[in-house]
Amino acid sequence: MPDEIETVNPDDNVNRRQFFTKLGLGSLGIAAAGTAAFAYQFLDPNVLYEPSPVVNAGNPDRYPLDSVTLDVNSGIYIIHSQEGYFSLSAVCTHLGCLTAWKPELNMIACPCHGSKFAVWERANLKPGDKIEGPAPKPLPWKRVWLNDDGDLLVDRSTDVPPMQRDSFVRI
Amino acid sequence: MAKTLDQHFDELRGTRVWRSIFRSGTGSSTLKRALAIQQNVFLHLFSTKVRTRMLSFSATWYLGTLTLGTFLILVATGIPLMLYYHPSAPQAYSDTKDLQFVISSGMFLRNLHRWSAHAMVFLVFAHMFKVFYRGAYRTPREFNWVIGVLLLLITLLLSYTGYLLPWDQLAYWAITVGSNIASAVPVMGNKIHFLLLGGNAVNANALLRFYVLHCMILPLTAMFFVAIHFWRIRKDGGLYSHASEPATVRANSSTIVVTAKEGQ
Amino acid sequence: MAESKDFVAGVDSNAKKSPRRIVFITRRTSAQVKVESENLVQTFPEGLFRSAVAIQLLAIALVWIALIFNAPLEGVADPSHTPNPAKAPWYFLGLQEMLHYFPPMVAGVLVPGLVVMALIVIPYFRVNIEADGLFLKDRQRRQRIFYVVAIALSLFLLFFKVYAALVPTLIMAGVMLLAAQSSPQSPSAFRRYLAAKPLSYWVMTWFLFELVVLTAIGTFFRGPGWSWVWPWQGS
Repeated sequence: MPDEIETVNPDDNVNRRQFFTKLGLGSLGIAAAGTAAFAYQFLDPNVLYEPSPVVNAGNPDRYPLDSVTLDVNSGIYIIHSQEGYFSLSAVCTHLGCLTAWKPELNMIACPCHGSKFAVWERANLKPGDKIEGPAPKPLPWKRVWLNDDGDLLVDRSTDVPPMQRDSFVRI
Repeated sequence: MAKTLDQHFDELRGTRVWRSIFRSGTGSSTLKRALAIQQNVFLHLFSTKVRTRMLSFSATWYLGTLTLGTFLILVATGIPLMLYYHPSAPQAYSDTKDLQFVISSGMFLRNLHRWSAHAMVFLVFAHMFKVFYRGAYRTPREFNWVIGVLLLLITLLLSYTGYLLPWDQLAYWAITVGSNIASAVPVMGNKIHFLLLGGNAVNANALLRFYVLHCMILPLTAMFFVAIHFWRIRKDGGLYSHASEPATVRANSSTIVVTAKEGQ
Repeated sequence: MAESKDFVAGVDSNAKKSPRRIVFITRRTSAQVKVESENLVQTFPEGLFRSAVAIQLLAIALVWIALIFNAPLEGVADPSHTPNPAKAPWYFLGLQEMLHYFPPMVAGVLVPGLVVMALIVIPYFRVNIEADGLFLKDRQRRQRIFYVVAIALSLFLLFFKVYAALVPTLIMAGVMLLAAQSSPQSPSAFRRYLAAKPLSYWVMTWFLFELVVLTAIGTFFRGPGWSWVWPWQGS
């Protein structure tokens, strides 16, 4: 019929200016998102020139029974107890200072804010547990194992649960 | 009722927080458009109006704008490059190799930086020749021309100092040759050579000096003079347009301008 | 349309008492400033958006090039081994080509120094402000001066065997000769165009030509030991 008028929903109408504005802003948005993604990838290094987290602590015979040895360069304690060899991180869990082994006190102490950690198992304390001080967490146990040459290896990037069978190296 | 995205944006623009940051807001009135320039700390270097004639491509070929564009690209690519670059020899070379093969987008950034640098030197020369050939250096724009020559020298120095930074054979010997030319200056040549390199040869000191020159001193100097350059365009009467400013003052039969002589 | 009159103006030597510029206005006319007012448009959006588009196009072109072509990187710097040839960055190759002919003091200090100074003082010389064709006035005298300068410069370059600079100079001299023989009534549009060019144009064009040729030679035609090579011969 000739009088029929096609009704167009006013919300569908986009004039040319709006179309190009949307197109422009949309492309800008996509470009910005892409740039952000690439920028993040760029800033996140692919290669680190840092020493390996795996430390070779040498022959286990170096560590007599009931000894606590601090390696300041790698920041770990090698401890030889009745149950075997295990390793604690020497980095204080409070704010990252290097702790020290105090044989006269029979505990590990942090010089920065006075946190103290147990080294031997006793009462309700496991090695690494905090005795006193502002440190929020105990010193973590690090994974130890023997390599093919019989050397003791410590992986500083892997924490293991304390006092578990596999957290010790027995010879 | 569901609101469209546009309506949401309009609401946002009406909020107090938004209006406290962006004072004038957008709009198509002449006032609003003038305010967009005048109220902006960066843009108010420009005047709120330009001559229509100077917007055409054939007027300037947009060479000045393009030179600024390359400069912006160089700053935008140069700063990320600085994040992975140690200005010590021979670490600098390893870092350049890392940028090319290890770091995500490193190759692209380095390439873009290099080609934009070549483009900027070329465009700066082209801009100078175009300004000369259209006579835009004439009074009252003389001093802006001098600033332009200064910017040309700064651009060449920027390119020269940047050339050394990869610390490869190309860089090392190009700079050695170039700095030996400096020692040909009479009287002060050797001293200049010594101060430029921070030593007698192109070594670690030279690399560090060139790095500081390239990344800090020269870009700041360039930005300083670019700002003056833009300001002078505006204050000298806007972009030179032949239609509105005759090259010479022409005397005609109804007006004679006479400059009286001293004495009698 | 007044009849021409001679005016003699006497003024006090005290600048504060008497004006230094006097305009004589004939009757029934007024002093007019012959400046046309031009159409102006808003910087935002007209000027800004055009600049933004120009910079975007530039960025796209440069990004394309950066994606396709890699920046060069040779072996690590080795002070004990000079590559052959050791070339400066391309914008200095014109200079390095000149170093082949002249001692460093001349090619490296004098010439660039004079060039920079010449560039700086361009707008302060009246000869660069006037836009009249070089040979349209005093044709004979100016042609004589042109011959002297062109021949002296060519002989100088020939004496030092600077063929790289000699050839562009001779070409420019040839074009200027054509301009000297042209006038606004010349038959071809090109000759009319040449006739209208002032001295500043000729000097700058000569400089541009030399710059391009010397840089091109330094880039493409110089090989080991700075010897002449043809670019298609490969290395």
